[in-house]
Amino acid sequence: MISTNAELTGSYDYLQVALSGLIAVSASYAALDLGGRVTATSGWLRLVWLTGGAAVMGFGIWSMHFVGMLAFSLPVPVSYNWPTVLVALLSAILSSAFALYVVSRHKMGLVRAFTGSVIMGTGIAASHYIGINAMRLAAVCRFDLRILTLSVVLAIVFSLAALVLAFDQREETRTTPSRKILSAIVLGAAISAMHYTGMASASFIASAVAPDVSHAVSISSLGTIGIAIVTLTVLGLAILTCKAARRFAAQAEELERRVIERTRQLTTINEELRKEIVDRQRAEDALQEAQAGLAHATRVLAMGELVTSIAHEVNQPLTAIVTNGNFALRQLASRTPNLQEVREAIAEIVNDGTRASEVISRIRALLKKGAPDRVELDINEVIKEVTKLVRYEATRSHVSVRLDLAADLPRVLGDRVQLQQVLINLIINSIEAVRILTDRPRELLIKSAKNADAVLIQVWDSGNGFDPEQADRIFEPFFTTKPQGIGMGLSISRSIIESDGGRLWTVPGTSGTLFQFILPTNGNTAA
Amino acid sequence: MNEPAPIVFVVDDDPSIRRAIKRLIGSVGLQVELFGSAQEFLLGKRPDAPSCLVLDIRLPGISGLDFQHQLAEANIHIPIIFITAHGDIPMTVRAMKAGAVEFLTKPFRDQDLLDAIQLALERDRARRQREAGIVVLRERFESLSPREREVVGMVVSGMLNKQIAAQIGTAENTVKVHRSRAMEKMQANSLADLIKMTERLQVPRGNSP
Repeated sequence: MISTNAELTGSYDYLQVALSGLIAVSASYAALDLGGRVTATSGWLRLVWLTGGAAVMGFGIWSMHFVGMLAFSLPVPVSYNWPTVLVALLSAILSSAFALYVVSRHKMGLVRAFTGSVIMGTGIAASHYIGINAMRLAAVCRFDLRILTLSVVLAIVFSLAALVLAFDQREETRTTPSRKILSAIVLGAAISAMHYTGMASASFIASAVAPDVSHAVSISSLGTIGIAIVTLTVLGLAILTCKAARRFAAQAEELERRVIERTRQLTTINEELRKEIVDRQRAEDALQEAQAGLAHATRVLAMGELVTSIAHEVNQPLTAIVTNGNFALRQLASRTPNLQEVREAIAEIVNDGTRASEVISRIRALLKKGAPDRVELDINEVIKEVTKLVRYEATRSHVSVRLDLAADLPRVLGDRVQLQQVLINLIINSIEAVRILTDRPRELLIKSAKNADAVLIQVWDSGNGFDPEQADRIFEPFFTTKPQGIGMGLSISRSIIESDGGRLWTVPGTSGTLFQFILPTNGNTAA
Repeated sequence: MNEPAPIVFVVDDDPSIRRAIKRLIGSVGLQVELFGSAQEFLLGKRPDAPSCLVLDIRLPGISGLDFQHQLAEANIHIPIIFITAHGDIPMTVRAMKAGAVEFLTKPFRDQDLLDAIQLALERDRARRQREAGIVVLRERFESLSPREREVVGMVVSGMLNKQIAAQIGTAENTVKVHRSRAMEKMQANSLADLIKMTERLQVPRGNSP
């Protein structure tokens, strides 16, 4: 039996003290880990980490204190008022939440560090002393104010150290596990030191007053081990969760880094490709421009060869106009003009004037310089147009020209002027080839026909053809068999047909000379 | 003698020009016939009347100059007026040498064409008259007996009656009879007249001794 007013001497169960130390270190380690997680996440996930982290860490701190308290055994039975215990736990959780919040900020200035450590230290100390207040025993608890103050100061100092360490190590990539363990041991030791200092400040005086045991529970040493195991498990899980989350985060980060890297590479490649496309387009444009220029130049040359024919085509209607005009003047000058005949003559003048201007328009269109204008064409119409231009050329060389044009041909896609140029070229070549003939008729046949999904145009003449050896070379630039030729006609004709997606070639083994080309169609029938 | 109405043939492959020429020539009261090609003209009927041909030198199938030559070979003597879009000098020379009346460049002055046509018709008229005269003379000459023709040939070569008689072995009086009968049949008023007639008929002259 212990006498009242005597100071109770407590003793420590060192195994439980060691256990409390282990919990302190584990809780510190978990705190450092959680600080890193809270910093690394954002949005609602950050809130989850903060809440969960605070709960785990607060539970750890509280558990350390509680186990530490249980390690202290008094010669009187001790039970605990559980609502107070809960308040102590809440206090630990709140200060943990605050600590996590402070270390996860972008910056932690001196003022913030001190304020934070004061609040956190006070919270922890509060948790500790509230925990002691939960004790229900037949004794009065007295505190040595100096040691109590020391314990609070220690709590604040250790909190400051914890905040600085945690803030320093919150960047998960910048710390190593061994460094973190070392920090955890320092912090754990500090928390334990604070606790046991706090414990030392309290002394228990035996009293006869029976303790208020309402809402009180007594904890056996088995319970202590239970609390320790639960706490360590929770802390362990928290650490494992942190590790897993960190790994996922690291993987996600790595993935993101790779994605960013790859995107950057792709952007660079894309940029290069785009540049190349632009360059190529530019080169192609330049080529097309050059081709159009060359086509124009050779067209002008061909027109030069046709100048007699052109003059004739214009002169014919002019002759009719002059003659009809003279007739009309004569009639009007006579005493009895035949007005009906005069009217007819003037109508013819108008017709012939139109005819002459059409010839001029045709020539102007052919001499016009410009980029090719690809449109849907009725190839038969193009052939007829050209035939009008070369008609006189054929007549004066006594060449009979026959047309054999298939009806209902699909339309082809091409530049009207350039196709006319190709035909003029082939026809003039043919006329020149048959002009020298004296032993047989000078014939020229222009034929159009449907050919699968293309249109085939043939220009045949009854001339002597050309050497089979030359057959390969006639399409080469500057190759010519004519004394006055510059050798561009067939070369440019082939490039024109090919730019329209067709093919131009000569067919050997036929009597005379046969040139033919195909042009792809769009399937629409010419109207 | 009542002369048939003159007619102008036009060969040009351009229908517009053909019609215009027809209008112009028709306005001076001449009859006009149009052809699109030389072939058509050859196949067409050519009435017995003074006529001329307005011919485009560039024709499909055959050149106007070749056609001119063809007509001459076929003994078709029709005065030709060439029209051409552009004639060069050698072409003109060749046409004129071959008897063309005129060589006009399109577009031609209306008066030039009408003048050329008048000239051509005049020429054809003269040719016709000349040809008509020769036909009469030939008929007269053919009415002579062989002996009379023989005597005429010798007379126009300047032989005396006596020489003729000796050559053909007959009496001088007989020669005189032949001669006067021939003069009568040929309707020659004098020896000079008879000589002109035989020249036109290209009668072979009798052999001088």
